[in-house]
Amino acid sequence: MATTSQPPIRLTSHKNFVYRLVFSTLTGRTVHISQIRPSSPTNPGLAPHEISFLRLLESVTNGSQMEISYTGTILVYKPGLITGSSAGAGSSSGGVVRHEIPAGCTRGVSYFLLPLCLMAPFSKAPIKVLFTGPGVITSSTPTGDMSVDSVRTAILPLFNQFGIFNNIELRVLKRSNPGPNGRGGGGEVQFVFGHQVRLPKTLHLMNAGKIKRIRGVAYSVGVSASNNSRMIDVARGILNPLVPDTYVFSDVSSAPLVPGGDRNNPLAKKKIGLGFGLSLVAESSTGCLFSADVASPPSGGQPPEDIGKQCAYQLLETISKGGCVPSAAFPIMVGLMTMGSEDVGRLQVGRDVVGDESAIQLARDLVKFGAPGWGLRDASSDEEKTGDIIVSVVGRGIGNVGRKVA
Amino acid sequence: MIGKRKRDTSVVSKYKKGKKNEKEETREGSPAPAESSAQDIFRKFFEAQFEPLEVQGNGATERDFDSGSDHDSEELENLGSSESEWSGIEGEGDDENLSVEVVEYTAPSTKADALMDKRARKAFMTAKPPSFATDLGSTTDRAKKGADEDDDKDTETMNLKNDLALQRLLKESHLLDSASDLAPTGKNRHKALDLRMQELGAKKSLYHQKNMPSSMRKGIKARATSKEDKRRKEARENGIILEKPAPKTNHSSGRRERGVGGPSIGKFAGGTLNLSQRDIAQVQSARRGRGKSRGRGRGPGRGRGRR
Repeated sequence: MATTSQPPIRLTSHKNFVYRLVFSTLTGRTVHISQIRPSSPTNPGLAPHEISFLRLLESVTNGSQMEISYTGTILVYKPGLITGSSAGAGSSSGGVVRHEIPAGCTRGVSYFLLPLCLMAPFSKAPIKVLFTGPGVITSSTPTGDMSVDSVRTAILPLFNQFGIFNNIELRVLKRSNPGPNGRGGGGEVQFVFGHQVRLPKTLHLMNAGKIKRIRGVAYSVGVSASNNSRMIDVARGILNPLVPDTYVFSDVSSAPLVPGGDRNNPLAKKKIGLGFGLSLVAESSTGCLFSADVASPPSGGQPPEDIGKQCAYQLLETISKGGCVPSAAFPIMVGLMTMGSEDVGRLQVGRDVVGDESAIQLARDLVKFGAPGWGLRDASSDEEKTGDIIVSVVGRGIGNVGRKVA
Repeated sequence: MIGKRKRDTSVVSKYKKGKKNEKEETREGSPAPAESSAQDIFRKFFEAQFEPLEVQGNGATERDFDSGSDHDSEELENLGSSESEWSGIEGEGDDENLSVEVVEYTAPSTKADALMDKRARKAFMTAKPPSFATDLGSTTDRAKKGADEDDDKDTETMNLKNDLALQRLLKESHLLDSASDLAPTGKNRHKALDLRMQELGAKKSLYHQKNMPSSMRKGIKARATSKEDKRRKEARENGIILEKPAPKTNHSSGRRERGVGGPSIGKFAGGTLNLSQRDIAQVQSARRGRGKSRGRGRGPGRGRGRR
């Protein structure tokens, strides 16, 4: 789609960076993003994780071009075809793209996973990516990323509603919390998305249902396993009276080793990414998923009881916002609906979710990319006033460009 | 003190009985004045060191006072022989220790819970997105299984029967009119039987017509291909991806199986072995150099045997 002669879409600021690039790739429009952190005296321009995401985009697409200005404050991205990871093209053995994240990365690996999930159904070949390197943080981070467990348990099942369910895997090979100062980690995550479709199904999700079960994963990396049981105990104490079917599983792993930056002893390795955290997922009777994530801060000093309590309350807060989709999954759902067939899909969301800053930013960006605007109306349920909003999204009907000629 | 504490923690019931026993003694009006004075001394000493003690209300033990007398005698006998001197001290200490709080701690996780935990964990902690479909109810099914095995057998046969009926219905439903009964009759019964025969391994349908005017057969074949072509064309126009066309079985491509003991070259007919030009060329080339002869392997030099 690089042959389009349309002028580039001009956008500013670093906000919503990944989804802008993803929609650019999906619609085939060139983007010109300027004023990327222009006023920062120390770190102007693109951050390490954004550069890393550009590298990831380059390895799963064919023929994409990107130009970055000297200061890094301007980016021009000309998208290519999403080829996925077919053997030989940019991927190493067995058709697996190996993506190394640099040590200075402060974002969790879900920062890369979520946009990749959104692109993957429209790829030509299955997408298989192995995230390694000294910057892979699998837990949730203070920068607001969810943990890998939440991605697996709360985001990936959503694709089922669009008719995408086969051969999707997210394997956590090594866990890691954020390292010192929230930078780096030594995790390893393998992501396989093997179900490519021409067009996702049109979605009508209007009934949130009632919460029927809560599952979760408590993880501790390089610290005592008792932290897990303490988190679980407190979280269950809060959630069990509300939902009896609550189970939180515990996962203990040793701290990952990364090469230490010691000049005298280059072979030395250091432990990184110690900590613990909790990921909770609530499932409603109609299959809507709500997730919450809290991990111990990199500076430490927070007992596991607090983490468990925070996470449980965060889950309750997410559920209390209402609707069928929490704000974490909103971009993915709307993105898939926009890329769907030329039909009106409807999605009921909480008022706070759609009124969120990021959601509005997403709507504006989508309009710039040529998607028709959303239709909003109050969810009119006579018996109860929920305050929810029904978002109607018209699909663009482009779907999978690489798949069309199959 | 040490001996007494041991009793406290290990045998709770005994301890209670001991208390009752002690209580009774005091009621009967035989408290040793020497003991109480000693207690006062202790108390004064304690209060001098720490805070003043509250006087205990003994209501807790009074409720089973009347029923406990016969047990008490046994208890006394048991104690009397070996621990007579200890019982005295115990009596003194008990008044203070009535306030000892017995906390029963039971871990919340029971064994059944752990079992379920393991299965649910297996279902949840995989690399796949969890289906959330594994219900807790299935554990009870498994537990129940041993109890009603007889019922299971009956239901098992019923299930098999129903299963067979369902399978047949699914396979043969296209034969049935909407109004007709599930058990086919007449022509439909014959067709259904034919389908079952084929499923069991019959080579051909009973209704396969062997002899037919060639124009008619050609017409049938042409119609089938045109129908398929039309379907594919429409799908392509609508952007629907269809299955790949089944590969045509090409009989001529394979090498014909020859009889054993025949000549490996040429053609034997009428008592003579006839060699064609190509056969001769092949033999000569094989003698010269094996390198470029692809004749032996693939056998293109089969002369007239192959067109």
